Amino acid sequence: MVQNGPEVRKHPFSLWSAFSSIRLTLFLLILIAITSIFGTLIPQQESAMRVAENLSPTLVRLLDALNLFDMYHSWWFRLIIGALAVNLIVCSLDRFPSSLKRFRSSPKTDREKPFENLPPERSFALKQAFEPVSDAVGDLLRSKFRKVERKEKEKAAFFFVEKGRFTHFGVYLVHFSVLLILLGGIAGSLFGFQAFVNIPEGEGVDKVTLRKSRVAKPLPFSVRCDKFTVEFYPNGTPKEYRSDLVFVANGEVAFQGPLRVNHPVTFQGITFYQSTYGTIPGNKVRLSLKTRDNGRNAVVEAEVNKPFPLPGQEGEAAVTAIRSDFMRMGPAVHLEIRPASGEETQIWLFKNHAMIEQRFPGIFETFPKLNPASFKPYTFFLESMDSRHYTGLQVSRDPGVPLVWAGFVIIIIGLFITFFLSHRMIWVRVSRVEDGATIDLAGMSSKNEVGLEREMDKLMVQVRNKLDKP
Amino acid sequence: MLNSIILSYITFVYFFSFFFYLLMMVMHREIFGRMATVITLAGFAGHTFAVVLRWIESYQMGIGRAPLSNLYESLIFFAWTLILLYLIVEWRTKNRSIGAFVAPMAFFAMAYASYSPGISSRIQPLIPALKSNWLIAHVITCFFGYAAFALAFGLSIMFLLKRLDRPEKKNLFLRIIPETWLLDELSYQMVVIGFLFLTLGILTGSVWAHSAWGAYWQWDPKETWSLITWLVYAALLHSRMVRGWQGKKLAALSIIGFFCVLFTYLGVNYLPGLHSYA
Repeated sequence: MVQNGPEVRKHPFSLWSAFSSIRLTLFLLILIAITSIFGTLIPQQESAMRVAENLSPTLVRLLDALNLFDMYHSWWFRLIIGALAVNLIVCSLDRFPSSLKRFRSSPKTDREKPFENLPPERSFALKQAFEPVSDAVGDLLRSKFRKVERKEKEKAAFFFVEKGRFTHFGVYLVHFSVLLILLGGIAGSLFGFQAFVNIPEGEGVDKVTLRKSRVAKPLPFSVRCDKFTVEFYPNGTPKEYRSDLVFVANGEVAFQGPLRVNHPVTFQGITFYQSTYGTIPGNKVRLSLKTRDNGRNAVVEAEVNKPFPLPGQEGEAAVTAIRSDFMRMGPAVHLEIRPASGEETQIWLFKNHAMIEQRFPGIFETFPKLNPASFKPYTFFLESMDSRHYTGLQVSRDPGVPLVWAGFVIIIIGLFITFFLSHRMIWVRVSRVEDGATIDLAGMSSKNEVGLEREMDKLMVQVRNKLDKP
Repeated sequence: MLNSIILSYITFVYFFSFFFYLLMMVMHREIFGRMATVITLAGFAGHTFAVVLRWIESYQMGIGRAPLSNLYESLIFFAWTLILLYLIVEWRTKNRSIGAFVAPMAFFAMAYASYSPGISSRIQPLIPALKSNWLIAHVITCFFGYAAFALAFGLSIMFLLKRLDRPEKKNLFLRIIPETWLLDELSYQMVVIGFLFLTLGILTGSVWAHSAWGAYWQWDPKETWSLITWLVYAALLHSRMVRGWQGKKLAALSIIGFFCVLFTYLGVNYLPGLHSYA
């Protein structure tokens, strides 16, 4: 299978001969391996930002100039992979004709050459008539091989059997599958997208954020998360994350179902994956109202944008916004107080009122908009805020995946053929001799000579058994 | 747990099989080799029993999962596949000297699993990302690949040692090592098996990642290192099948390849990434 003879090059110094070199293949394989190491040592993409802060600006500039913070998507890494792909195509095309020739070759049934220098254990003599022996050999071969060629000559009958002719193409299947996988990757990055979205429980979204560019991408439908549940094992490790999703297209519920880790949901070609979760403020808060004289003290459960009457009938108030972190001073709500007569008052109420007062003494007196006592006679306090879950979903569409999957199947078939199967040819010669017949066995294999010898040993035993017990 | 107690004892069984394989090579006595094989077989039987027991115990704890999902279990499984493959090779080649190079690897894997303070032998329930049918296929294929590469590594070391052998030296230890052509062939066969299983391991992992995280390849350090390993062995196979390289060059590549395997398996855990659990 390996031809080490002097090769006749059609194009001595052309690009073709450069790319048909297996040395180039070895160089590129090792180059990709070595360069890939950098990307595992230097944090990539998002995590690169955090690490870059601790490095010297010169080093950061140098690494950035070499695209080392996103090296797997850099032009030079793609160039090396592209060169490997070209190398693989050229090598395959260059060697394919000779494989085809070997595939098409039809060795003569009555070849004498394979029987030259035959080891003694590959032939034996029988004191039986020639015709029944040769017929028995033919029958045995026919029971084991699909096609048996037979040729009668004056002094001998020749049989030729073979298997695994197609195995000459195994290596091309492997190469083809690598190209399919690369092609799938390209198709995915050209025509697909990777995005994420956080959906608060009970809300819906109709756009997602692209991972790479951080640009919002509208969806042709909307998706609502009715409920998010997280279950824990008794020891506190998470057991299951689950989002109950509802897909709404053209104003109608088109599909609903649970989304769990490892169980993605695909709707209109876009697939949703359970990725993370977190908590955000809900839309209910508890406020307490105190008057100066401490005479009246009321607790109010307020819902966003639902006005509630003030206890002393001075007017009404409403929570109009909830922030989990306002001005870096923690959770806060925006309160609008509309008295029966007079100016409206707007204030931001902080949950960590006492702590903020301690850090910035007098802040609340200085800024009326932050002062919980701006509307007399009340002082408002934010006691607690409801919280609710949001679910974090990975959203993607990748039309390259079927190509990649096909590549996976083909590479396994190809590797199996290349490594474990071979083209085996066996010749059997039954010769007419004075007092009976002799049988000789010879074989050739494209690889795995040991396997061929084993197969011929077995065949030898079977021939003997068949002829000993007619 | 009973299973981990048994497994910690199996560690020493493998040490004794290493000891007897070595004794056979130094003393040149067949009987030590036979004892080594019996000890290894006994260790393997106990090992298999303990792994099955661990599986059963996980069901008794109400967790119920295959023992293939953390560093402890993967080391135990790695040693198991290594011994299984070795026993097959010993049976096929009728040569026991390979055992002196493989048994210590199994011993180290078991000892690391059982006695390293950082590795917990407790059966813990699966986190959501690991709850997948792909887990078993992924782990089994990867570790058969690793074990075959480990054998190829041992055979390559033997190859390099055997080259030091000279007839006039009468070195008993080296004389019992098989001929270089056989080591070369066996090591190549192990690389072939390892390559097929590593490919299967990467593919199953990729399909799994696609259903768990929505991307079949993310250049996570473990993924990348498995690719680096794959590329090194791909280079080895091409250099042998097409360029006809043999012997020292291939042994060197196979040793480099195994260091990549070790880094993929253990070294990557010190880098941040998705495979942080195993």
